[in-house]
Amino acid sequence: MGKGAITQARKHAFIINCFMKISTVNRILIANRGEIAVRIMRTAHEMGIECVAIKTDTEPAAMYLDYADQAFDLSEESPEIPVFLDVDRLIEIALATGCDALHPGYGFLAENAYFAQKCLENKINFIGPAPDAIYKMGNKTVARRIALANGVPMAMGSPGNISDEEEALKHATKIGYPVIIKAASGGGGRGMRIVRHPDEMGKMFNLASREAEKAFNDPSVFIEKYIENPKHIEFQILGDKNGNVIHLGERECSIQRKHQKLLEEAPSSALDEELRVKMGDIAVTIAKAVGYYSAGTVEFLLDSDKNFYFMEMNTRIQVEHPVTEEVTGVDLIEQQIRVARGESLSMKQEDVKLKGWAIECRINAEDVQAGFAPAPGKIEKLRFPDYDFIRVETGVRDGSSIAANFDSMIAKLIVTGKTRSEAIINTKKALDKVWIKGTKTTLPFFRMLVRNKKFHSGNFTTAFIEKDLVQFHRSSEYEELIAAWLATKLFADENLQSMTGNVDFEQGKEMNPWLLNKRINRF
Amino acid sequence: MTPAFKPEIKELHALNQDNDLFSFELPLTNKIKIGNHEYTIELREDDIYGVHVMWKKRRYPVEIIRVKQNRYEILFNDISYTFTIETPISLERKKVLSKNTGKNDKLIIRAPMPGKIVEVPAREGAEVKSGEPVIILEAMKMQNEILSSVSGVVIKISVKPGQNVMKDDVLAEVAVK
Repeated sequence: MGKGAITQARKHAFIINCFMKISTVNRILIANRGEIAVRIMRTAHEMGIECVAIKTDTEPAAMYLDYADQAFDLSEESPEIPVFLDVDRLIEIALATGCDALHPGYGFLAENAYFAQKCLENKINFIGPAPDAIYKMGNKTVARRIALANGVPMAMGSPGNISDEEEALKHATKIGYPVIIKAASGGGGRGMRIVRHPDEMGKMFNLASREAEKAFNDPSVFIEKYIENPKHIEFQILGDKNGNVIHLGERECSIQRKHQKLLEEAPSSALDEELRVKMGDIAVTIAKAVGYYSAGTVEFLLDSDKNFYFMEMNTRIQVEHPVTEEVTGVDLIEQQIRVARGESLSMKQEDVKLKGWAIECRINAEDVQAGFAPAPGKIEKLRFPDYDFIRVETGVRDGSSIAANFDSMIAKLIVTGKTRSEAIINTKKALDKVWIKGTKTTLPFFRMLVRNKKFHSGNFTTAFIEKDLVQFHRSSEYEELIAAWLATKLFADENLQSMTGNVDFEQGKEMNPWLLNKRINRF
Repeated sequence: MTPAFKPEIKELHALNQDNDLFSFELPLTNKIKIGNHEYTIELREDDIYGVHVMWKKRRYPVEIIRVKQNRYEILFNDISYTFTIETPISLERKKVLSKNTGKNDKLIIRAPMPGKIVEVPAREGAEVKSGEPVIILEAMKMQNEILSSVSGVVIKISVKPGQNVMKDDVLAEVAVK
């Protein structure tokens, strides 16, 4: 079975190779929005490449549009599906605006093999891997089979998709509880459920399958042994169209909540050089097995005995790519573009040197005090300190809206230091100076995290937030007292005014209640 | 409108959700005493930072999230705090009231986040055990089981599948056994 799949894959790869003659990148259609659109255009411009962005009705004044050489205006249309998910429309726009290349960013169609294929068929250089590699790694059961055939360590699991509760129970008994049900077409934590006892299987199977269908249009799920309290370690892969594949070291992404990453680091304090070489080699093996080129990520789970298991490969540039860029000095977007042009990688594995430490905080419009519920709103003020150890990636500015229908990201704060502890100290300094008004954000969570002992130790797992944390945000001693004073002041001002208009208490110029009252009227 | 209070009142109390009391003498000044020290709270506004508070030489963002009668939700340094402001009389009344109601005999289940109801596994009149799902709420494409924290009988279900709910909307009520 496994061998057959590989031969089939080779045949497939040959057909795909016929499309590879497209190797120019002179004008890129940015098939994305927000910070990643800005990020891609920044590097493209440095390379002298023009960029076309798409103006949508949802955010016609978005910041990323200012970075484009041309904004294709769709703001008069209210499409049923967002244009960034519309394969035919995107191809049409690319052709109409004279783009010879397209960058999908992350999310949307970034890992859609059909889309990549369509681009190539229309002689548009897809800045990413081959459609075949996207397909194989995108389908988790196919990916598992390929990994198995290549001797990649993996958690025990069902050989293919499972169709019902009964089959699920059969496999779970064989593997041993706890098990995890995963969506075959999944990613990003959706369609995943942990089952600790046979009694829960029916319920969890249905939940996972239904969630998978909603999120990925595919209800197929499979079962794997659930690795308790692992670390999430991923390797950045870079390959070219001539068969060279290297890795750029690992990222530590264990700080996550419900499988959503919140903070990432490079490198990881859990890896020594020996383990890094071992895991990196395996990551390269997986990538080579599918003829991978461009930037990609191989995700592993690492248990407390330093056993590691292949989880999945993401065939796109990732949100957290900047931490790798900071410690390797490599611009990953630039590499993606060069590879798309057919250039060979200019560096070899031995040239990759990790220097210093980088931490990324995902500052999202979420209410930490309400279980990280989305908190859409209008950004009124967005200010970052000008420390030389920080890098900010954002797609919003004063006046921008964080809409409920897109993701809740406001900005990525990337902080570096010579060592991990210096990076943490620098992050603490930076976080205290980040200023966001207009919506609740994940800032209080990070301010707490950088002061947490266990986080400092580096000895935490993906269960950290759910199991080890009691407090999800930080409040210094007198902050509640000041808030109480403010509430009392508002109450007093309103009531005294409504009685006499004769305000009889000390009131400095800066204490003008108008400042606050003006706010009240908005609600 | 909030009811006016009488000028002879000498202090106001801010009561948080854990029933901790913060008391302030009237007339209210912008000085707060902590131990032997007195600190000044300065409220400012400028174009760069918007409305903010200066406290011990540091700048903090401040926002009013919600005002409803005497209930104030204040966002200070990105964290929200909810207080009811009580006069000495209303505070006394509140104490008496809470004594009379005794312990909670009803659990009100509220939406922990905005989202869409996908399923209601519980039925009105049916028993529910602590830890059992009452509602399945989808938020950000994740399905979340809203569990009962008590064992009892479901006395009311206020939502239907397909319905969108806001944070803190009442979903169901369970009579504690």
